[in-house]
Amino acid sequence: MEKFNLSTSRLNALIKHLMTRGIVYAPHKNGEVSFSFDEVRDPGKVILNYNRTLQSIKKYFLPPREQLLSFSLKSGSLSKVEPENPLRIFLGVHSYDMQAVLRLDYNFSQGNPELNYLKRRQNSLFIGVSFEPDTYHFSRSVGIMVEEFDGFDLFLDKHSSGYTLYVVTQAGEELLSGFDHLEEAPDRPATHREFRNKIKYNFNRLSEVFDHAWDSSVWEEIAQRCVGCGTCNLVCPTCYCFDVEDDVNLSLADGSRYRSWDGCMLNSFAKVAGGENFRADLSDRQRHRVYRKFKYITDVTGEPWCVGCGRCTAYCTAGISIVETVNRLCEEYEQTVLRKPLAKQDWVL
Amino acid sequence: MSNHIRTGIEEPDRKMLELYYPEIAEITRTKQITELEKWFEIALPGNRDLNHQPGQFVQVSLFGFGEAPISVTSSPTKRGVFELCVRKVGTLTTAMHKLKPGDRIGIRGPFGHGFDLQKMEGKDILIIGGGIGIVPLRSLINTVIDRRSDFGRFIILYGAKTPGELLFKDELKSWREDPTIEYHVTVDQGTPDWDGNVGVITTLIPRLDLNLGNTIAAVVGPPIMYKFVLMALKSKRLPDENIYLSLERRMKCGVGKCGHCQINHSYVCQDGPVYHYPVIKQLPEAIQ
Amino acid sequence: MKSDQIKPNKPKIAFFDFTSCEGCQLNKLNLENELPDILRHVELVEFREAMDDKADYYDIAFIEGSLSTPSCINRIHDIRRRSNILVALGACATIGGINSMKNLQPIETVRETVYGEEKYRFPTLPAIPVSAVVKVDYEIRGCPMSIPEFLRVLKALLMGKAPNLPDSAVCVECKLRENECLYDRGIVCLGPVTVGGCEAICPSFGQFCTGCRGLVPNPNKDAMLDILTQHGLSLEDAQKRFLLFNSYNIESKSIT
Repeated sequence: MEKFNLSTSRLNALIKHLMTRGIVYAPHKNGEVSFSFDEVRDPGKVILNYNRTLQSIKKYFLPPREQLLSFSLKSGSLSKVEPENPLRIFLGVHSYDMQAVLRLDYNFSQGNPELNYLKRRQNSLFIGVSFEPDTYHFSRSVGIMVEEFDGFDLFLDKHSSGYTLYVVTQAGEELLSGFDHLEEAPDRPATHREFRNKIKYNFNRLSEVFDHAWDSSVWEEIAQRCVGCGTCNLVCPTCYCFDVEDDVNLSLADGSRYRSWDGCMLNSFAKVAGGENFRADLSDRQRHRVYRKFKYITDVTGEPWCVGCGRCTAYCTAGISIVETVNRLCEEYEQTVLRKPLAKQDWVL
Repeated sequence: MSNHIRTGIEEPDRKMLELYYPEIAEITRTKQITELEKWFEIALPGNRDLNHQPGQFVQVSLFGFGEAPISVTSSPTKRGVFELCVRKVGTLTTAMHKLKPGDRIGIRGPFGHGFDLQKMEGKDILIIGGGIGIVPLRSLINTVIDRRSDFGRFIILYGAKTPGELLFKDELKSWREDPTIEYHVTVDQGTPDWDGNVGVITTLIPRLDLNLGNTIAAVVGPPIMYKFVLMALKSKRLPDENIYLSLERRMKCGVGKCGHCQINHSYVCQDGPVYHYPVIKQLPEAIQ
Repeated sequence: MKSDQIKPNKPKIAFFDFTSCEGCQLNKLNLENELPDILRHVELVEFREAMDDKADYYDIAFIEGSLSTPSCINRIHDIRRRSNILVALGACATIGGINSMKNLQPIETVRETVYGEEKYRFPTLPAIPVSAVVKVDYEIRGCPMSIPEFLRVLKALLMGKAPNLPDSAVCVECKLRENECLYDRGIVCLGPVTVGGCEAICPSFGQFCTGCRGLVPNPNKDAMLDILTQHGLSLEDAQKRFLLFNSYNIESKSIT
């Protein structure tokens, strides 16, 4: 793989170059201590040294609120709304967020492929950046290294005196054409990046843990601390559930159908028109949320649908930690399944 | 702008555009069958067949009011039009009750899995319907009636809260009079002019004389009904493999995306709404 | 508005104010861009802030303010009898609001403090939301009520459908807007247990949520108090946060 030296002082020049090729999105400061992906207007405002953005780049492919169609109430006619897809370059993406996009690609291309998502996703290029794991990141526990290149076209690996710019794909190479004076980088020893936050078991063993976790008391215990605000769903880069609603304009003559992000932690998520709520208890909702990340799709694809970004934990005002939850389940699994003689029901079948 | 740059995702297939776009259909006939339930006959453009299986549903759109999943109540043997029967429970269904012949609605679907007719052919069919559960079952019942020689014995158990809540009364009469149908109906609460069975639907099960190996049960009703009906069928020793049931969940998309209908790993809009009972036993959230 | 301009089939709507600052009503007059469109669809028959016509029947009655005197009780029954749909508007009408802080003291003490020697001329009751006395069909929450939500409800009612109002927390709208969480700035906020629908307007401008839209259904009260105390409030201060707008709920349903 080709790689070049990129000094910190040339970063702005690179961003300016990228801006001539497409619309560039990168992390910016948002508020006092937070970051968010925004369109780059001023390369000087881009921040590549960040812990995590409030929302992942999912918002560009599955917007928080999106028009699906428009209609006229008088004539009963429909108009299709098709997303636009200019070339977009996502700069400064962490590997776990890239992996989240690849997981969403699966969700929106399998079964019934969805145009809205795939169309937006189509003309996108990704430039990764390495990061220093903080106390919430645990992506390594779900099989995602800081320097995971999968999905990226280019990758910026930070080291003490600048960046090594890796050219991962043909598209990445084309993106660099016209950005001159790049000097081939020497091989360097991999930077040691320690994840302090860890799931006890290798992710390959988690499916088995979750086979025994359904009746755990953990669900009730975290439910006691949970207020059901839905933040964990709404910041998750692999959550994609949505609600659909019609809105009419004030003339009452026409309107649009919109979809917006929804979350399985929210009170009415599983409530039917007749009033029955199929997941009325917070403990049932917490369990469903965590099973969706570690069991349901994972059993089909072999990959955890949690990418270890740490957002659900970092932004939970109640301090509910997904790593602690999973580790508790691992411990219970050790105590009740591994160390216990086989229970009767296990050997009857 | 360098549009020649190839990214990982190919140009999406144009057919995907249709995922959320309903087709405009016309209401051709309506009938208010009870205070809460209204029946609609609907024609797709060019009187095209809906091509559904009994037990499947469509997403009905009323623009400005939204979209809701509604079971198809007509049988696939009925050609050119299809029928819905809608209980007034929410915003969309309330608005739908105001519609008349000539009004237009949006239709997407049919979606999901219905009853597996191939597995039912040659078998005795036991229908167990509670309340509006009879609505999707009527699609199966009329299929069996129209293809009567393809099936064995035909037993229909139908329960409603009160005689007034019984749906499709004309058809109930013809089922009762049909010598090839063993039809039993019950109500939870009788009225002075009701001379039939009084009691919940499970009370009809013990007295049945079933050919256990050759009987397929199709069960649809409110959530509370399933537990008791399944217990009654178990004590009757009907094998679990011979039971199918249909589950209701909140649905927004009908195409396995929005997440609302998920039961454990299963999406009701894709794998259901009709499930084989052995599958349901693997879904702890299905029947509580 | 002249009567000859009123089309016969337009729904008659009316606004009534009870114990409140009338801020919600003024807020509606701020709908300058939308008012002409609204008036095309409705006949406005009672709105003290803007006009003085009266009518015997209302298709939709909007009620602002809490009920806090014996005369309020009679008047709201009268309005309910004459109204097809009754909508409570704003924090005072929906949850009792700031007025209901008076319920925290014995009513006689309140009366004496406010009216002194004249207290016998002013009968007073604990401040209660409209739904405590008559059937309320729909509620538009907030202090002041949210204009987008008001338009949403009005449009729905004019179309003859039940408005679809959220029952999830303010946090949802903060996340959709990608607001920095105020807790991350060391500011405690009632967003996690307050009903959204306000588009998280206060946190979007750096102001913590005061709970003016009332609590979410089945609030996990202990968990919320834990959150507030873990983020630096004393238990007493945490409980006080709720009392600003939610005294009625807390006093009558012992929520904290």
